[in-house]
Amino acid sequence: MALLSVKDISVTIGKLNLLDGVAFDIGAGEILGLVGESGSGKSLTAMCVMGLLPRIGGRITEGSIIFDGREMIGLPEVELRHLRGKRIALISQNPMTSLDPIIRIGAQIDQVSTLHLGLSAEAAKARSLDLIAQLRIPEPEAIHGAYPHQLSGGMKQRIVIAMALAADPDLIVADEPTTALDVTIQAQIIQIMVELVRDRGLALMLITHDMGVVAQACDRVVVLYAGRVAETNTVEAIFAEPHHPYTRELIRCIPRLGQAPGSLKGIPGAVPSVVDYPAGCRFNSRCGAAEDLCRNTVPALERKTSGLAACHFSEV
Amino acid sequence: MESAAAMREGDLVRITGLTREFSSGGGLMTPRRTMRAVNEVSLDVPRGKVTGVVGESGCGKSTLARLVLRLLDATAGTVTFDGIDLASLSPGQMRKLRRRMQMVFQDPYSAIDPRYTIRRALLEPFQVQGVVQTAAEARATVDELISMVGLSPRMLSSFPHQLSGGQKQRVGIARALALRPSFLVLDEPTASLDVSIQAQIIDLLESLKEELGLTYLFISHDLSLVRYFCDRVVVMYLGRAMEILPGAKAQPRHHYAHALLDSNFEPDPTQRKVITMLAGEIPSPFAMIPGCAFAARCPAASDLCRRERPALEDLGGGHMIACHHPKN
Repeated sequence: MALLSVKDISVTIGKLNLLDGVAFDIGAGEILGLVGESGSGKSLTAMCVMGLLPRIGGRITEGSIIFDGREMIGLPEVELRHLRGKRIALISQNPMTSLDPIIRIGAQIDQVSTLHLGLSAEAAKARSLDLIAQLRIPEPEAIHGAYPHQLSGGMKQRIVIAMALAADPDLIVADEPTTALDVTIQAQIIQIMVELVRDRGLALMLITHDMGVVAQACDRVVVLYAGRVAETNTVEAIFAEPHHPYTRELIRCIPRLGQAPGSLKGIPGAVPSVVDYPAGCRFNSRCGAAEDLCRNTVPALERKTSGLAACHFSEV
Repeated sequence: MESAAAMREGDLVRITGLTREFSSGGGLMTPRRTMRAVNEVSLDVPRGKVTGVVGESGCGKSTLARLVLRLLDATAGTVTFDGIDLASLSPGQMRKLRRRMQMVFQDPYSAIDPRYTIRRALLEPFQVQGVVQTAAEARATVDELISMVGLSPRMLSSFPHQLSGGQKQRVGIARALALRPSFLVLDEPTASLDVSIQAQIIDLLESLKEELGLTYLFISHDLSLVRYFCDRVVVMYLGRAMEILPGAKAQPRHHYAHALLDSNFEPDPTQRKVITMLAGEIPSPFAMIPGCAFAARCPAASDLCRRERPALEDLGGGHMIACHHPKN
């Protein structure tokens, strides 16, 4: 049974229908990539899983989110708070949204294990130092006593990962955790994060727009487009035999080593705005293979030779 | 007489020993500290080619872009454009010359006045330059510019906030092209765009270059994009040029260039990488290091590297490297 099962959720904020039937599972020990361009609904999906949607005025109108056998939608705030941090941890894009600028780093990590694991102050500090060292940060003692502004962006993001791991969660939701960082630092942090998650057998929901990161880190992939799932499959199949034209085009947009000059073409048009989503398949205006059926009828997310895709015309 | 083709050969821009210092502090409480954002960079930009500058934050690539257009004055060194030393020009002469050299910025939204319609934004360069146009000429100009970048003339009466990121960047490019420049500095023009739109913009820049015979200096943090788009690639670190690759296929030999290359994940799960951890992070540019700027993080660093700065040397064929122990 999946650790987290998101079943056909639809989300509205005011009159806007932002997510439409988003569905996926994450098993224990699995790294799931949630990939898409801006406006695809990646971060909103993370908010749903964290139970934070009401904070931004959103509402889940349909579907359910089952975590470890329990329905999360409708849970009282007290119970959600117990799940957040303890069993489901969040790593956001900007580490400063997770760190308090006027509290020493050590105290912030210690707090997670005193609060959620009931550790004593000394035990919590020992645990924090151990976590800092596991994230390959030099001189853990010095860092434990430092303030966030004394650290570089990459170091701060490692501290946020240490905080996420501190309560021994079962699921980590990482929303573009390395997007704000330089490439050499991004590569190191992805590597450390993947190692730690694998060692502990944790489930990771990795939200990213970067297909390189997906290929490097994930086991399975969900491709979102304009608030719907376009395709879901194993990482190997997503890159080797994408079923949805959007996935295929998205991969083709990344320049590769040795690619012939002039051969890089984008996807024509832009992601439609939530206020004027087209009828039928939302990718139809940008798709080379679109026909009348695509402009009139929403394609269902169906089983293909492998994985699921929402396309009327995918051959396999 | 030289043939037209031969006259078009050679370097449009020559950069020699270019240095720019910034200082901070120097008040009552803090001692004055100086850093070199760009440190003795020499580089030629060949006509009709794309020269790429790649590096991470703080490497000086954006400062270099501004120095090349003299939006900033250099502390030392020279920039010549078509044989003219930029530092020798008066502000008036400089403004004239700017018709021939323009910049496309990373964030098109901040480059365009939000209260201007697209039409007015496209006509602004002519006002700044004091170019007088009749209403009919102005209409023809903006129509031509907007279609050149693949947008519909219907958008001319829109405001920037009504456009998507990709459309705004197209307007940014149209504005840069308004005065018919021969040289464009592209400072991370696609960094804030989605990948499907980034590829559109690169495709557009490629065809405009062919159509209009432009020369580009392309600044980016994305090595795979730079290697795709550029004819030559300059790798910068802490204000210095570490390696100049003569072509997209040239294999880098500098350890820093390798670290950049290794950090770039291929969109292919069968080619997963094991990342070698660089020690530490980019040091503060205020700490003036005597030896190689990369020595503290380099896996091959020796005492020599920490003591003596390697000079940029030619390995042949235009491949230049500043390293005592280049990788094979």
